[in-house]
Amino acid sequence: MDCKKRWLALSNNAFGGWGEPPRPPHRSKMPLMLETTMRRTAFNPYWLLVPALLMLALNTFYPVIYSIYLSFTDWNWGKTSNFVGLTNFINVLTKPQFRGAFFNTLIFSVSAVVVETLLGLGLALVINRLTVGAGIIRTILLMPLMVSGIAVSLVWKVLLDPTQGIINYFLAQIGIAGPAWLGTVPTAMPSIIMIDTWWQTAFTFIILSSALKGLPAEPFEAAQLEGAGAWATFRHITLPMLKPVLITVIIFRTVDTLKIFDIVFGTTGGGPLRATEVVQTLAYQTAFKFHRFGESAALSVVFSLIILLLCLAYLRLDTTEEDAS
Amino acid sequence: MRPASLGIVWRYAAAILAAIISIFPILWIAMIALKTRTDAFAIPPVWFFSPVWEHFQRAWTTSGFSGAFFNSVLVCVIGNLLAFAVGIPAAYMLNKRRVPAKRAILIWLLISYMLPEFLFVIPMYVFYQYVGLYDTVIGLAIVYQIFTLPFTIWLARAFFADVPSSLAEAAQLEGASTSQIIWKIYVPIAAPGLAATAILNSIKMWNELTIALALTFDRAQTVTLAVAGFRGYASIDWGAMSAASIIVILPMALFAILAQRRIVQGLSLGAVK
Repeated sequence: MDCKKRWLALSNNAFGGWGEPPRPPHRSKMPLMLETTMRRTAFNPYWLLVPALLMLALNTFYPVIYSIYLSFTDWNWGKTSNFVGLTNFINVLTKPQFRGAFFNTLIFSVSAVVVETLLGLGLALVINRLTVGAGIIRTILLMPLMVSGIAVSLVWKVLLDPTQGIINYFLAQIGIAGPAWLGTVPTAMPSIIMIDTWWQTAFTFIILSSALKGLPAEPFEAAQLEGAGAWATFRHITLPMLKPVLITVIIFRTVDTLKIFDIVFGTTGGGPLRATEVVQTLAYQTAFKFHRFGESAALSVVFSLIILLLCLAYLRLDTTEEDAS
Repeated sequence: MRPASLGIVWRYAAAILAAIISIFPILWIAMIALKTRTDAFAIPPVWFFSPVWEHFQRAWTTSGFSGAFFNSVLVCVIGNLLAFAVGIPAAYMLNKRRVPAKRAILIWLLISYMLPEFLFVIPMYVFYQYVGLYDTVIGLAIVYQIFTLPFTIWLARAFFADVPSSLAEAAQLEGASTSQIIWKIYVPIAAPGLAATAILNSIKMWNELTIALALTFDRAQTVTLAVAGFRGYASIDWGAMSAASIIVILPMALFAILAQRRIVQGLSLGAVK
């Protein structure tokens, strides 16, 4: 084992991790088992990873470095581009427009993630117990997730139309005067959150539902023998066992909701009065409408740092989970 | 016995309510797309009507729509081919072999998947203008690798993990190269899982808006952008807009119906492993 490790280290160093290292010189003197393991390591064609890493580098290294560079300039798609130091970053962190977008994104993300996780978990608990028709219900629940964000926007624009929309018609039938949903400041953001909930709850539902199915039966049987109630079983058995998957779901949904663009672009475009303006719609407008590429890049850099921190926090949680188990 | 059966009743009630909420908006839009202009927004709503197809015809023949539809198909095909050609060997290496900095590569994949679009879209916009890939299908398919490639590698890695190593070892003793082992042993065995991966990749690429909005203009416009074109503020052609939405929803809805199990399996693997 030690020999193998040393050989691996040696071959990695000597060949920079690429190519096929030559076979060990004293091959015939070794025990058979060791020889096969060594041959397998010696056969390690690292070059098979190279295309993937190059593709990733093209899509991440270059853009990230270029965005960081842009964020220190005042480039506006013209010929000149001057170094402006931290001006863009100061603007991003202090201008009310940017702070508003960060605030809206945070509100949207936290509300959507909380609602979607609770709803998805609830549905998973309910539907996993069904015997007849669970397959059909699962397929139907999966549908919204298949719809592109822009189609989701159009669908809900039609449904939520204040005068011609079916939602306000239903509300009128039970004597409620429906609001203008996407059209007024207090209702616009809740409407977007509701639309996202309709769209993405299937994701949390599917994953938590699969995770629930994969849980071992013994602890539940034991709990039943001891006469534990439904809530106690959920609180002390289901929830702890579900925790790692729950964390994964929450992180994925958090990052995804922070990056929200489609349904805001498609429904309100950030209005009314910037009530639904989020980071990514603002980055889009700053760059492609007002051609302030430097400022847009600074916004994206700050935003990416926040997302990066979340990723790292997740990875830490992930490893501590692994260590614990 | 009594509380148990009551439990079942409310479970079904909740499940059916959730199903109705999930499907009603799509069905309602499909109905609007099939109704005449007067029926579409009649109050009270018209539930039974004889379908008319003019809105679909108008949506499909709107300038650029059918072209955009085929662009999207092409992006999905090229994007998947690229992701598989590059990602499958990488997935094999990351699952079956000792690779230096394996954890770093996996973290890099995760971060690549999670980066906000406008961080990389602006540099790619500049770069593509410069090298002539702006507003091309192939250029779009390359940028889509930022999420397609990590996803393909994760899933393929998970599916390869289930393939016993003994097969590869036997092939290796007979002198098969690593590429042969990957493409002739692992890929056929993991084919159902890889099909799910391709479906999930296609769904993601088909529905993508943000990157396409920034990196295409006219020639390579995708179907989501064509649908976004119907989203006017002053005068909206509700019928054509609904029909266009249904056209973009339909292929993916068919995937959901035909490959529900696979999609669910792929999604859960992607999140759990």
